[in-house]
Amino acid sequence: MQIVLQNQPSEKQRVAQALEQFGRDHQLPAAVVQAADLALEEHLTNLMNYGFTDNRPHQITVRFSLASHFVVEVEDDGPPFNPLEVPAVDITLPLEQRPIGGLGIHLIRGFMDEIEYRSEGGKNVLRMGKRLPA
Amino acid sequence: MEIRNVVTGDTCEMLVSGRIDGAGANQLEVEILNVIRTGAKGIYVNLSDATFLCSAGLRVLLQYWRQMKNSQRLLMATRPSPEVEAVLATSGFREALVEKL
Repeated sequence: MQIVLQNQPSEKQRVAQALEQFGRDHQLPAAVVQAADLALEEHLTNLMNYGFTDNRPHQITVRFSLASHFVVEVEDDGPPFNPLEVPAVDITLPLEQRPIGGLGIHLIRGFMDEIEYRSEGGKNVLRMGKRLPA
Repeated sequence: MEIRNVVTGDTCEMLVSGRIDGAGANQLEVEILNVIRTGAKGIYVNLSDATFLCSAGLRVLLQYWRQMKNSQRLLMATRPSPEVEAVLATSGFREALVEKL
């Protein structure tokens, strides 16, 4: 399944609804859908807030696939950027010392089992996989 | 997302239901600021009916937890739903931000 959206925050709702429908159609466990839902919210928010350096409309493509894992791929045509190179967050710091931002990729890492970045044909592609329960 | 406030004296319980996504976090922030302006000394953000919490929501909770603490007041999250609890735990916020019952 593939959804193409514009880089507008209001478009995220379409992705969340499509994910919910995909989960129902394929009887995915709630935990798998919830993890993907959060990962998509985090990555799409970062993309829309920081991923494009001009003020022009851009397209973002989200793909769902299911084999041994549930896989979500997000492709964008922004400047090359690998989110996996963002430094890890220290969650052991006391709350008073925690930076206000920076948790998006941390949550993606925490909730998805596999994350890969590739640059392909001038596009950024983030592939996130969630294992299915046995 | 909906927020219903229950005021008791100088404390306010904010009952949040639905998705605290990017838009929900903005709404939550506006509501927290409204409650702060009333002079509440304690704000309890009840997350038992919240179905989703993202980093934008965490940012709001952290920012106003910090602001309230700096003025000798209190903001805590309470009764997180299982989905929200998982996010609070993964982010390392659960211990300090969630009220222990």
